[in-house]
Amino acid sequence: MPRYELALILKAMQRPETAATLRRTVETLMERGAVVRNLENLGERLLPYKMTKHDQRHTRGTYFLIDFYSAPNILTGLLDHLHRDVDVVRPTVLRKDEQVRRSTCCGPQQ
Amino acid sequence: MFQLISTRSVQAARLLAPRSAMPLEAVRGRKSRADPVAKSKEGRMKVPPPVDPVEMVVLHERYTEYQLILRALRLEFKEELLRRKYEEETGSQAEEKAKQESEEHCGLMAWNNQENLHLLKARVARIQKEKEEAECRKMEAALQCEQKQQELLKQKEKEILQLQEDAKNFITLENLDQRIEDALDNPQNYNFAVDKEGRVVRRTLLQ
Repeated sequence: MPRYELALILKAMQRPETAATLRRTVETLMERGAVVRNLENLGERLLPYKMTKHDQRHTRGTYFLIDFYSAPNILTGLLDHLHRDVDVVRPTVLRKDEQVRRSTCCGPQQ
Repeated sequence: MFQLISTRSVQAARLLAPRSAMPLEAVRGRKSRADPVAKSKEGRMKVPPPVDPVEMVVLHERYTEYQLILRALRLEFKEELLRRKYEEETGSQAEEKAKQESEEHCGLMAWNNQENLHLLKARVARIQKEKEEAECRKMEAALQCEQKQQELLKQKEKEILQLQEDAKNFITLENLDQRIEDALDNPQNYNFAVDKEGRVVRRTLLQ
């Protein structure tokens, strides 16, 4: 199965609400047949620009990274679901590439 | 008649239009057979040239002698040619020559056959060697293939083992809450700064 990464920007909320949103998201993923590998928190920080979502202007947000294994056909459904979630400011699904073998590449020598 | 006309016309053209001073030629046979004889030639008796009898006799004798000699010479030469040809075909040395030629032929054929055998042996040896080399190469290629497949298998097995090890750390419904709490407690920071000397600074302000 290919490996994806969900870069999630959540609204700046209190801890229990954030936990609830995360739980909701991960459960959605697992319902659709994904295998969640790891969950990382990149902290609550200032967004690079003000984003408007669900009739709200957001200046700060919490960044989370979820990497998971799943089939590719569920991604559109998943993204639909996440766009409709009020607490999610911006969901982004990216594909994780395999590690490139660091062999002796021919590059400019110093 | 047509020839006459053609020559006549040519001459007439030459006479009528002389471009350069061309000498006028006498045309023989201007009249044809049926034309009447000219008035100036009427009563002409054609007389053959006179013959001197003494001269005639002398000449006759000389001519007979001359022709005799020439005929004899010609016949002698012809005879010599015939004799030579005869000797060549069925002479004393014809048999020896034929024998020598046949011996030479036999010798050459034997030499040719030997050479052919040599070349045949060389060719067979060469083909054998090439076959063996091809076999060797095939075996080596097969071995290489086998090795590569083995290596691939090992690689895949390693990856599977690695994945099995990682699977112990995956998130499940039971440790979901625990993992969420852990994540919220430990914010990760991937930002860093590098300068030209290669010094890496990972402590950045998290706004």
